[in-house]
Amino acid sequence: MKKYERITAIITSLGGVWIMYYAWHTLKLGSIHVPDAGLLPFLCGASLVILGIVWIVILQWKKEREDGEPAEQRLWHRPLLSLVLMVLYGWAMESVGYVTSTLIFVIAWQKVIEREKWLKTMIIALLGTFAMYALFVYLLKVPIPPEFFAG
Amino acid sequence: MDIFTGLINGFSIALTGTNILFCFLGALIGTAIGVLPGLGPAATIALLLPMTYVIGSPVTAIIMMAGIYYGAMYGGSTTSILLNLPGEAASVVTCIDGYQMAKKGRAGAALGISAIGSFIAGTVAVLGLTFFAPPLAEFALDFGPPEYFALTTLGLLLAVTLSGGSIIKGMIILFVGLLLAMVGLDPISGKIRFTFGSIVLQGGFDFVTLAMGVFGLGEILYNLESTLKTEIVTTKIGKVFPTLKDWADSRWAIFRGSVIGFFIGIIPGGGAVISSLASYAIEKKYSKHPEEFGHGAIQGVAGPESANNAASSSSFIPLLTLGIPGNAAIAMIFAALMIQGITPGPFLVAEHPDLFWGVIASMYIGNAMLLVLNLPMVGLWVQMLRVPYGILAPIIVLFTTVGVYSVQNQVFDIYSMLFFAALGYGMRKLNFDPAPLPLAFVLGPMVERSLRQSLLISGGDLTIFVSRPISGTLVAIFVLLVVGQTAFYIKRKMGGKKTAAI
Repeated sequence: MKKYERITAIITSLGGVWIMYYAWHTLKLGSIHVPDAGLLPFLCGASLVILGIVWIVILQWKKEREDGEPAEQRLWHRPLLSLVLMVLYGWAMESVGYVTSTLIFVIAWQKVIEREKWLKTMIIALLGTFAMYALFVYLLKVPIPPEFFAG
Repeated sequence: MDIFTGLINGFSIALTGTNILFCFLGALIGTAIGVLPGLGPAATIALLLPMTYVIGSPVTAIIMMAGIYYGAMYGGSTTSILLNLPGEAASVVTCIDGYQMAKKGRAGAALGISAIGSFIAGTVAVLGLTFFAPPLAEFALDFGPPEYFALTTLGLLLAVTLSGGSIIKGMIILFVGLLLAMVGLDPISGKIRFTFGSIVLQGGFDFVTLAMGVFGLGEILYNLESTLKTEIVTTKIGKVFPTLKDWADSRWAIFRGSVIGFFIGIIPGGGAVISSLASYAIEKKYSKHPEEFGHGAIQGVAGPESANNAASSSSFIPLLTLGIPGNAAIAMIFAALMIQGITPGPFLVAEHPDLFWGVIASMYIGNAMLLVLNLPMVGLWVQMLRVPYGILAPIIVLFTTVGVYSVQNQVFDIYSMLFFAALGYGMRKLNFDPAPLPLAFVLGPMVERSLRQSLLISGGDLTIFVSRPISGTLVAIFVLLVVGQTAFYIKRKMGGKKTAAI
């Protein structure tokens, strides 16, 4: 944890330096009488630099506390896979339309993330897609991406 | 319009068929998400933000959102008492004595007293809101840019320091939120900032995508890591109406909880979580039998549950009167108002009395509805925990995706939401409290505008922030807070080093 925190602290400081440069060079700070678009971004960037440095110093002081209760088993690949699925879903929605992409997305979710059996997967996918379509199109009258197959 | 006329007018609005229906829906959804662990009120309101476009009437939309917020406080106690699993952050402390009561076969009494306490506290806080908000709004009419700059920065600082997490991490998230709010056209100079050549980014990030990404999907992604399965409820609930002795034991705890919750709720960053913790600490300190706490003391349930409900209602005061959201859930309601073209603040009472009084009146009705929803239907809510997360998660994803697309009919918003989801997930992995992010994002434009306007008015003279009485007082509190926190931190560190040396 401490390693990741140190990396985040360094990224925070470096990000702050870049924001300060961007605000000063591209946006311009203006003067104290007539501040320009870069003033507050510059101040925020400077604050991030300071906070990142203070965080690194604090991490140096702090002792790592690894003992205690064993951590609960966490499966990091599931959120990562689901994020990939969601990106693909967004892309598919635009390319093939809402209904087809939603059906494929729920099937993929149930098989890849939840590892469900085919029958349960298909029931959830069909019911979920139908329910969402009914809710958004008929009840809430929300525009959805048009179906590619509908021409 | 005086308070009584306003309130009568408010009731005539809140009691229309549509508003009663949406008040009920809000209370129902709020109770449901309060019961379900892993989805808080901020996330739910974020998920439902696109619905405000469809609802049309701002009064109806805000009545529903408010119902979700205070409804979640009621529902949160159910799983804390029956499963030792807080459905909502503000109910963590209820687990301590609530679960012990359930283990002793007194689950019904615990659930009953928490519902009754919540009802009383909610009503007391709404009464406070009724009488406290209009004069405060009138007072805030005198605020100029320096006062707003001092108030918003103090509010943001309080939100970070009172959140209970790491102050350094909270401050980083705060500045990231401010920077995210700056993406797009600068409202004063018209310059384009942080868009990297993207035309869609010129309008800036939409709050709905940020809120749904960080709170809705971010939470889903984090929960997907967990291997925890919901337990099957075996606890016998029993009679939900407390006995006369239960009432006698807990009435002062309810009263104290209501008062503590009301005042803590007004402070930005205060909110329901801190008020429930404060109430528990006070009940234990002043109890004649402190040894009973942790072993099923009814005051340990009644006090915190009353406090978190009172705080959820009173946290509407800074929003409706000053236009300052004090916590993440209220920031979502702030965004819902902005979506409807209404700027929350001191002019709200005068310009939109129907909304101001309609929402307040609906809270009285909503609290009564929640009492009915929670007492006899507690068994039904518990059954809801049997819905597997594997089904719930993709449904929420579908809901958010279409919801966010519907706002501007562009797929870019879906990608932007996924970016914020990844950010929210990363924040949770590194123990960052995401609450300051939406607060900084919604207050960012106000902070920048008021700072630049103040400097323009004063001709660059920074003493404008300290020479005016209200902003001067706020700046003094800000400085005291920073100096106090730093001194406290250094003292604690030095004390720790000395102990280590010995």
